[in-house]
Amino acid sequence: MTVPATPRNVIMVSVTMFLLLTLVVLVSLTMGAVHLPLQAVWRALVSRGGNSEAAVIVLQIRLPRILLAIFVGAALSVAGTALQALLRNPLADPYVLGISSGAAVGAIFALWIGGRIAAASPLAAFAGAMITMVWVYLLGRSGGRLASYTLILAGVITASFLSAIILFMLTLLSTRDVRGIAFWLMGDLSVTPVAELRILAPAILLAIAGIYVLAKDLNVLLLGSEEAAHLGVNVARVELGVYILASLLTGIAVSTSGAIGYLGLLVPHLGRMLVGNDHRLLLPTAALGGAILLVLSDTLARTALAPSELPVGAVTAVAGAPVFIYLLRKTAG
Amino acid sequence: MKTKGRGGTIADGSELLTCVLVATLSALLPATVSARTVKDQTSRMVNLPENPHRLVSLAPNITEIVYALGLGDELVGDTDNCDFPPQATSKPHVGTMVNPSLERIVALKPDLALGTPEANRRETADQLERLGIPVYGVTANTLEGTLASIEDLGKVLGRAAEATRLVAEMQARIDRIENRIKGQPEPKALFVVWYRPLITIGPHTFIADVIRAAGGVPIGENLKGEWPRLTLEELLPLDPDVILFPKTESFSPSLKEFRGLPGWKDLRAVKDGRMYFVSETIERSGPRLVDAMEELANILHPRQP
Repeated sequence: MTVPATPRNVIMVSVTMFLLLTLVVLVSLTMGAVHLPLQAVWRALVSRGGNSEAAVIVLQIRLPRILLAIFVGAALSVAGTALQALLRNPLADPYVLGISSGAAVGAIFALWIGGRIAAASPLAAFAGAMITMVWVYLLGRSGGRLASYTLILAGVITASFLSAIILFMLTLLSTRDVRGIAFWLMGDLSVTPVAELRILAPAILLAIAGIYVLAKDLNVLLLGSEEAAHLGVNVARVELGVYILASLLTGIAVSTSGAIGYLGLLVPHLGRMLVGNDHRLLLPTAALGGAILLVLSDTLARTALAPSELPVGAVTAVAGAPVFIYLLRKTAG
Repeated sequence: MKTKGRGGTIADGSELLTCVLVATLSALLPATVSARTVKDQTSRMVNLPENPHRLVSLAPNITEIVYALGLGDELVGDTDNCDFPPQATSKPHVGTMVNPSLERIVALKPDLALGTPEANRRETADQLERLGIPVYGVTANTLEGTLASIEDLGKVLGRAAEATRLVAEMQARIDRIENRIKGQPEPKALFVVWYRPLITIGPHTFIADVIRAAGGVPIGENLKGEWPRLTLEELLPLDPDVILFPKTESFSPSLKEFRGLPGWKDLRAVKDGRMYFVSETIERSGPRLVDAMEELANILHPRQP
């Protein structure tokens, strides 16, 4: 369905999805391994404090996790949307250019040399992601600008190479470190401190805003870079901007919560099915849709087998694959 | 806190009353539980409560130690994997060792959580600390380390006397075993963690230490890492005298099958039939470790009839 991207429509769709997100958040706050009566949850939210067990569970365990899911879900979905446009490839996801592998190498490297400083890990992961971003750019440009063909190849080769390095490093790590990293590699929203959220959230919002500024240009890029150039778009600059911003979003998301898969690939497609290809409408839809889906996945992850918690990446994979197959059949048939 | 009101006397009176009430209540309220900051066995600084009496155990060996120190009633929660003693399985569960449910732990209102880096993630410990639950970590890489962990937990949990007694008993049994096997030749033992591919234990692991204490020589002193892989070609020249298999649910082949497996059937230990199952407690750093050591000593150095 294609919805014309008039400002009015953009606002209406965004507001509707935001309200849906709020509803999903409220419902998720009431769900968890410990059964809390609705009244207790409401009281905890309204009085915003106190040491009652409900307040600690709702405000210090569930709420930060849900907020993290919102921002990471939005970040990965917007990154996926932007990369699918940049690379003109519907199979692109935030990890195809090697960013998540770079982050993983950074995180494992931090474990290897320093080990005990948990805080160093996200920073090292982010550094790994950014180094990979620069490396793939240098490798993948041709004629002084990004060419989607060479960029994809550069990204895929780099990702493969880094995955091999990751496996190698895993064999050298002690079992206890491997255990910790395994969760990170699968995608895990359970252990990020609130303090990190205060840095993450504005950074993600800024990067998403940056991509939104380029929304019209993304529309034109889809026609092909030559056509875009003829239509007056400064292709080199737009491509570089989108590449950097999408990599930043992915790097931030992966550094804190590991490689949560399928979201960045599927949400853009779902968004296109709902509102069409115009990025002025697609980007907010993807951002809010990704947030909603990740909150739902995380809620499922922590309630399906309670008190055992699944890593959220496992839920997105198990749920994502059938959705992908369905989409494939629908577009093929 | 002077309130502007009708009649200064009434305002001052209520102020005075408030002060008296507050003073009385402060005197009646229980004194703040004093805490001390100590370094646990993983070198983390922990804010220990003075008299912890609501404990959550995050690993099966810790659960065993807690019960052995007579503190079973103070254990308010443990993991899904805590299977000994049998009473431990009916305690409220908080989930797996590697990803326990923080909500469940908080709901149990513990004043101290006990964990080990061998089973738990550091992130879990950090997160619990942020939620106001101190986490004390124990760790051991040797038999001696296990005894030290028991002593340490005894001190932390206010049962130092029981811990010393338990450790003394364990040490006495260890000494008896060592005396019995003293002077005897030490057989080379291959501990099979998995057989396809062949994975064994590294020389600096917990299990290797128990094997040495039981009078054996773990195969492959030059192997690197915790779980080195061996090809059968590398195994043949190492020529183990004895092959040990862990008795776990997931290890399904019967020992007889190895007589037919290529490579394995050429091993002297297989031909001589010196293949044995060893109880899982060999890797549990807790009170039953001496049982495993004894079982192993009897395998490596059979008692003369």
